Amino acid sequence: MAFIELDNVSLGFGPDGDRTEVLTDVCLEVEENEFVAVIGFSGSGKSTLIALLAGLLLPDSGEVRIHGKVQTEPGPDRGIMFQNYSLLPWLSVYGNIELAVKQVFPEMKTAERKQYIQRYIDMVNLTGAEWKKPHELSGGMRQRLSLARTLSMQPEVLLLDEPLSALDALTRSQLQDEITRIWEEDRRTVVMITNDVDEAVLMADRIVPLTPGPNATLGQSFEVTLERPRDRTTLNFNPDFKHLRNEVTEYMLDINREAKELRVADAIELPDIQPIDLTTPSGRMAS
Amino acid sequence: MKYKLIKAIDVAGLTFLTPVVRLCYGEEPKKQLQEIGRFIVVPLIAFAVFVGLWGAIAPRHKTKSGEVPTPLVVWDAASSIWRFHDREADKEDAYGLSGKTREQKLAIVEKRLSQLEPLETLANQHVKEANAARTTSVEELVGPILTQYEKLDAEFSAAQTEREAALKRDAGLLASADRAAREAYLQRVRDHAAKTEAEREQLKELKAEETAIRAEKFPQLVNALKAQTRIAEERQYLGKLSEQLGHGNRTLKLDEQMAQLRADQVTFLSAEGDAAFMLAQRIVRQEARIQKTSESTYAKPWTLPMQIYRSLACVFAGFLIGSAIAIPIGVLCGLSKTFMAAMTPFIALFKPVSPIVWLPIALIIVGGFIPDPDKHWLIDFLANLPLLGWMKINPAFIASAITVALCSLWATMTNTALGVASIDKDHLNVARVLRLGFKDRLFKIVIPSSLPLIFAGLRISLGVGWMVLIAAELLSSSEGIGKFVWDQFNNGASDSFAKMMVVVFVVGLIGLVLDRIMIVFQRLVSFDDAAAAI
Repeated sequence: MAFIELDNVSLGFGPDGDRTEVLTDVCLEVEENEFVAVIGFSGSGKSTLIALLAGLLLPDSGEVRIHGKVQTEPGPDRGIMFQNYSLLPWLSVYGNIELAVKQVFPEMKTAERKQYIQRYIDMVNLTGAEWKKPHELSGGMRQRLSLARTLSMQPEVLLLDEPLSALDALTRSQLQDEITRIWEEDRRTVVMITNDVDEAVLMADRIVPLTPGPNATLGQSFEVTLERPRDRTTLNFNPDFKHLRNEVTEYMLDINREAKELRVADAIELPDIQPIDLTTPSGRMAS
Repeated sequence: MKYKLIKAIDVAGLTFLTPVVRLCYGEEPKKQLQEIGRFIVVPLIAFAVFVGLWGAIAPRHKTKSGEVPTPLVVWDAASSIWRFHDREADKEDAYGLSGKTREQKLAIVEKRLSQLEPLETLANQHVKEANAARTTSVEELVGPILTQYEKLDAEFSAAQTEREAALKRDAGLLASADRAAREAYLQRVRDHAAKTEAEREQLKELKAEETAIRAEKFPQLVNALKAQTRIAEERQYLGKLSEQLGHGNRTLKLDEQMAQLRADQVTFLSAEGDAAFMLAQRIVRQEARIQKTSESTYAKPWTLPMQIYRSLACVFAGFLIGSAIAIPIGVLCGLSKTFMAAMTPFIALFKPVSPIVWLPIALIIVGGFIPDPDKHWLIDFLANLPLLGWMKINPAFIASAITVALCSLWATMTNTALGVASIDKDHLNVARVLRLGFKDRLFKIVIPSSLPLIFAGLRISLGVGWMVLIAAELLSSSEGIGKFVWDQFNNGASDSFAKMMVVVFVVGLIGLVLDRIMIVFQRLVSFDDAAAAI
């Protein structure tokens, strides 16, 4: 039995007549301490998938099981890192983490808690910014804070919802390395959503593509067998890396093309007409 | 230091000072001077223009209760209000003085009084002279007019008598059934009436000219009268002061009463029968009197600064009552659409109701709860509070505060509801992931996130409350700024109009300060960079 199981999960929105099925029959198994990257085009239902895993949404049919237990509500055991940080703007860096720590470890003593929070602040390199408010932080720092808050809950599963997509390329690669480093130090099950093939290949143990929605489902999965730690500078010359990257990219493009063809088939054909200017030259001048 | 200063200025909402600070630090002087020109000099010029126009236009408009006061007159009225307050405070102090300080003070007062005496004689002399000068100058101007008036009057009445006689004479000559002749005669009578009317008008005009000359201000007299009034006022004040320091003084009164008591006690020791009973009764009465005197204070009349203080207390009382109702209901409205639906008709129905309607209702209801203010526990309790006790909080005060609350709470309520309802969904997701309970969710997520909007609402509420309060006090006769205006309106002294204008500025200034304070709070609780609207 796998650690996380998604068993024929389907979810749609809207009333009966005008319903959009976002996910259809999604099956996914994630082993304990495995790093899985779910990759897909924007709008394909990636965030919906992670919300299902987190328990923020409940499936219409099928089950989400962790440790074999059916999930019915969100909880701190599945730490989710939101795409847009979701930091509380009125709390400082310290306060944001403290809120989570106080709730998850209510029995912790004040001094101990202080030390504990400081450890996570140090872990994501935010030392010195403890008392800054989120709006005083850069995008990368905010995402680090979000990571620290999620990690401080010591979740069994780490759910990363496009954690780096809002960042610039340099900050992004820096944070990729940091997340990978933290994960290697303290292994746990991770499901990461991304739209970046390089990122997925660089960080994950396994890549699972999500077909374009609606009716999105998971496609064939790719094992990433590259050895860790992976160094991005040398990786670019690694033939395995290049091969895998090309394979995944090709696959993604293929399924996208298929989906488009499918969509064209039942699309309404528009009449092929061109507007003609019927006004006389003099009339045009007058106007 | 510079950035701290600029940040503090920004938080206080006094951004017009920023270029001054920057200029002091020598940063882009040209640009800063431009900014200072725009945000400090231009408003000052505009205000100066306003004052100038006011001073130019005001004297032209005469009303039944005197001229519209000019800025100078208003300034005088303001200083007279302040002087009154100052002098009353002096008298209050004097009443409680004892021992050496009392004697010293009394000596100073008497010295000043003796100094005033010749000044007063002089002032009276000046007034007399000015009056005489005025009379001569007026008579000089009026004389020719009067002569002309009399001349014209005589001429006109002679002419009228003559015309009437001619008409009467001709009436006998009218042939019967001569239509045309009769018509012509009628026309002559009409002409006569018109002419008489025109002559009367002419005389009236002359009379009006005379009245205008007599009513014209004579600067010398005005100034002399002003000086005389000033001295008379001071003399009266010093007289009252010396009374408070002399035989009206509390310590002196107590000494006197104590002496009386001791004398009675001595006689009582040897008294017998009825006399003993009488004396005993007297002693008991005297003891009670001494007790009362020792607790007594100077019966200070209300002065404008005291009334302002009381108005502020009243507006904050109303504001607190209103907020205590509005915020919880607003939070509930924001949390539950059903509750919001239930509240919507009340909000829609009561929001537009005028303070003028709420006040009598509040007065009746408060009057129902407090039938006898002198013996009610609440009034008693409030009278013994520090800082508030001296204000004599009465049912009218409470009713005014309730009116303020009822009129001002809507802005806070709707803003709170909006703030709570528009909370970021991601923040709620954080709460769900952390499995926060209802209480934690409310106090750690919902309320902090809606605080900026709540404070925006509170700011509007306080502004509305301050506006409403003046009207409420005016109607309920609760001591305060509104009451001051009403008293001035009814009192009709020569400077009443000016004093009302002083109140306009006082109310505006206090409203401005209250608003600024609320802006500071709003800035302090707002967590994003978006500056609150000024």
